[in-house]
This record gives sequence, C-alpha cells and structure tokens, in this order.
Amino acid sequence: MALPALLILALVIGYPMVAAVIVSLSHYSLLSPVHTFAGGANYSQLVHDPVFWQSLKNTAVYTGVSVVAGLVLGLLLALALERAAGPWRAIRALLLTPWAVPVIVVAFLFQFMFTTPGGIINAALLKAGLIHSALPWLTSPALAMVTVIIANVWTQLPFFLLVFTAALGGVPDEVIEAARVDRAGTWSMVFGIKLPYLRSAAVVGALLMIIQNFNNFPLIWAMTQGGPAYATSTLVIYVYQLAFTSFKLGYASAIGVVWLVLLLVIASLFIRVMRSDRA
Amino acid sequence: MTQALGDRTVPDQPTLVAPARRRLAAGRYVVIVIVALFIAWTLWPLYWMVSTSLKTPKEATSLSPTLWPHSLTTANFSELFSSSLPFGTYFVNSAITSVIAAVVAVLIATLAGYSFSRGGYRLSGAASVVVLATQMIPLVVLIGPLYLLLLKAHLLNTYLGLIIGYTSFAIPFGAWLMKGFFDGIPREIEEAARVDGYSRLSILFRVVVPLSVPGLVTTGVFVFMNSWNNLLYPLTLVNSNSRQTLPPGLLQSFSGTFKTDWGGMMAASVITSIPLVIAFFAVQRSMVRGLTAGALAGT
Repeated sequence: MALPALLILALVIGYPMVAAVIVSLSHYSLLSPVHTFAGGANYSQLVHDPVFWQSLKNTAVYTGVSVVAGLVLGLLLALALERAAGPWRAIRALLLTPWAVPVIVVAFLFQFMFTTPGGIINAALLKAGLIHSALPWLTSPALAMVTVIIANVWTQLPFFLLVFTAALGGVPDEVIEAARVDRAGTWSMVFGIKLPYLRSAAVVGALLMIIQNFNNFPLIWAMTQGGPAYATSTLVIYVYQLAFTSFKLGYASAIGVVWLVLLLVIASLFIRVMRSDRA
Repeated sequence: MTQALGDRTVPDQPTLVAPARRRLAAGRYVVIVIVALFIAWTLWPLYWMVSTSLKTPKEATSLSPTLWPHSLTTANFSELFSSSLPFGTYFVNSAITSVIAAVVAVLIATLAGYSFSRGGYRLSGAASVVVLATQMIPLVVLIGPLYLLLLKAHLLNTYLGLIIGYTSFAIPFGAWLMKGFFDGIPREIEEAARVDGYSRLSILFRVVVPLSVPGLVTTGVFVFMNSWNNLLYPLTLVNSNSRQTLPPGLLQSFSGTFKTDWGGMMAASVITSIPLVIAFFAVQRSMVRGLTAGALAGT
C-alpha cells in the first residue's frame, strides 16, 4: 500500500536528486544545449567563491538566531501560559494565528512595517525617542538580516509554543508536587525541575526548525531577494539565483549537494544527542 | 524573581504565609505582563494589515502613519478585482491547485501511513528515516532537474505540473501524520472485519478511514497550507499569468522599489490569508495534537 507513495517519491524526489548529483559534475547551463563533463570543477569553483561563503555564513546566522530566539521565547511563553485554564486557554489559540498567515503575507507585512520612509516601526521608535533618524531597516546590509529574522521569528514562535506546551504537559505531576512540598522557588522549579524534562522536545523542535530554516526560500526571497549586496542571501537564495537568473545549473547543483551533506551531518549529530539522552 | 529566591530561606511556617502569598501575586503580574507583550507582538502586525487595507491610498502611504483609519474605504479591495491586476485569476489558480493537491496527497498518504502503522517496527523505522530525509532535501536543489523533467513532459504552465510538485513534497510528512493517527486506532477493531473475510484494502476504507476523519482533515489542511504558501514551484514552473498562483503573482504585482501601493498590498494580503486562517482554525485542535505528538515522539 505504500507503493503509490514510493513511486511518486522516486519520480519527483529520487530522480531529481540523482539528476542533481550528475548535473553537479558537468558544465550545465539552461541556456546552452551542450553539456560537457566537468569532473570536480564545479566543486573547486565554490571553494574560491566569496558569495558562497557569504551565503553559508548568512544561512548559519539566519538559522541560528531564529531557532535560538524561537526556543527562548517559545519556552518563556509556554511557561507563562502553563496554568491558563478555562476561557484563558483561548489566548493560546490566538497566539497560534501567525502560523496560519501565508508566508508571502508575512513578507509583505514586515516589509510594510519596516519600510524606510513611512514605516510604522520607524515612526514609533522616533516618537519614543529611541532613535533620532529613521533607520534603513531593509536597505542597509546589517539591518536587513535583523528585519528578516524578526519576521521569521514571528511566524515560527507558534511552533515552539506548541512543542513546549505539549512537553510541559508531560512533566509528571508527582515531580511537581514533590518540588512544591520542598518549597522550591519559581526559579528553581523552572530550571531545576521542569527544564530537564523539556530537553528532548527542545532538541527535536530545534532540529525540525534548523532544517526548515536552512531550506527557507519564500520569506527571504519575497522580502529582500537576498539583498542588499548578498547581505541576506542564504544558500537557498544563492542556488536559486545561480540556477534561474544566471542559468548555471551545474554549479548550482554542486552547491546543493554540498549543502545536503552539511544537513545530513547536522541531523546525525542531533540524533546522536537524542540517543545518548535516552540511554 | 529574585525576591522569590530570597524567600526560600525563610525557615519557619508562620512567617512564610504572607511572603508566599505576596510571591504568588508578584509572579502573577510578571506572567500577565509577559502574556500581554506576546499578544501585542502577535496581533499588532495583523491589526496593521487590516487597518491599512481599509485606508485611502493617501493615508496608507502617508509619512506619519495614522493608528486608526480616518475614513474607511473598501476601494483597495474592489480595486484588486477590477484593475488590470489578475488577482482573481491568481486566487482561483491557488485554490484549484492547493485543494486538488491536498485531496490527492491525503489519499496516497493514507495508504502509505496505514502500511507504516501496521507494518511493524521495521517499516515504521524506515518511514521516519524517509520523512526526515525528504524534509531535509532542499527544494531548490531539486527544482532544476524537476523543471527539465516537466519541460520534457510538457507539464510546465499547467495545473498538473504544480499539483505533482506540491503533492510529492507533502506525501512523506503526510504519511507520517496519518501513521500517528492510525497508531491510535486499536487493531482489535480490524480483527472482526478480517474474520468476516474483508480484504486489507476494504478494511482500511470501510473500517479504519471512517474512524480517522480528524486525521484525514488535519493532513489535508496541512498539505493545503503548504501548497498555498509554496512560492518556489510556481515561480519556476509557471510563467504565464493565466496559470500563476498567489505568492509569485502578488510578488510580481507589488514588488519593485517604486511600487508602494501599500493599501492594495495589504488588501491582497487580507484576502490571501483568509482561506488559510479559516482552514487552520477549523482543525486547530487536532492539528496541534497530530503535529506535536509527531514532534515529541522523537521522529
């Protein structure tokens, strides 16, 4: 019964995968009908490509900051809402809304709020006296990454809230009760008692979101297209541009293969951490 | 918080009562402030979207933004459907491809999820590896070869091409979600049907599927949401306006440094969000259960 699924996967994922590896070994351009064998040329080219290294760094920053911020804020929020009962539980549902907002809309919304003349964020910061002149949120290389990450955290916080809410529900009542009898303070209750129970949920949640952010195309593409000057260009963005704006499919595939290997390494590290956790 | 730490050293029972109560009250205020901040963080962008969509173009692009629209207008919305912008076409294309992809993916994921669920440890172990692996594959690496494949099959610029793309990526995770729901259905129920001589397939569709409607709906909504959000596939696999979907279509219509029709952009955003928000809240409860159970089971 799994056959139809496997057939489709083989055709639409397996075949392109193999094709990508083969293409990565050739000079393959979407513009020219002739494809010559290149051996490792595409791979040695990327070692000397500053934009590749810049994109790799951007991917790490974008992914790392988004996931850490999501973990910390999600945990804080889950703890704050832990005792919510009755009608107050509706708050949790309300806070999940960003999950349902289409990515393209999130991109538009944050572009609009952070736009430089007339954006609400600059207007509010100026009024509050926190800045003296409007900040070029989306047009300066340093701030563009900050803006994209803020938008990203906004959409992903609901996921972390859910993961931690579910994990908090799994902390045994007896443990909480025992700690209460011992008159544990709020601080030690959270850090000494509850956090150890949340570890594996945090690891799994972080892994899923690392993978997702590594591969996140629409948000960055819609907000900045990787600009200004490659400041927000992650590997996805760079590969897309190489393949469909410069039509260098061979080189783009080589980067894709390297990056897949990188993801595999990260995933196996995580799985090892989880296994040792359970032992 | 620091006060709470200090209180712990208070040794004897009688003196504890008052500080403990004060500690509880103080903690409560901290919690309320935190929750209020998060509510503002969540709802502000949404409020700003809706209120801007109701402003006149002049007010929407004003350099000193107004918190509340001075004169409410629906002009931005009617403009979407009357102007040269093929917003209606984009919307219909998105709806058709996403709905069909959801239905097809649910059907295939049901078959796969059921065999993963009942196929013993080895199959379900393989299932989680496949899911994790396909989740990791960057779509953008596959899109080049997929483009060439669809080019040869004459499926560029067609609904079918998009549906195949959406479905393929939804199947692994969908199968995994369905497996989770099937795992919750006791096997004993199927035993009776098996004794009566039903085949595996008819047991699945006559006994198991009717019991897992929430799972089917959740998986369907999940695929629908992902397809509705997909920018990469339509951007590369479609280049005619008559088949374009919302994300690339909107991007094309509203991007560019000099185009700042914020009112129209926000009106389009509101309409683009509505189907997803409705679908999400319709299945919110079982979706949350399905997704977190999956995440917490440690894949």
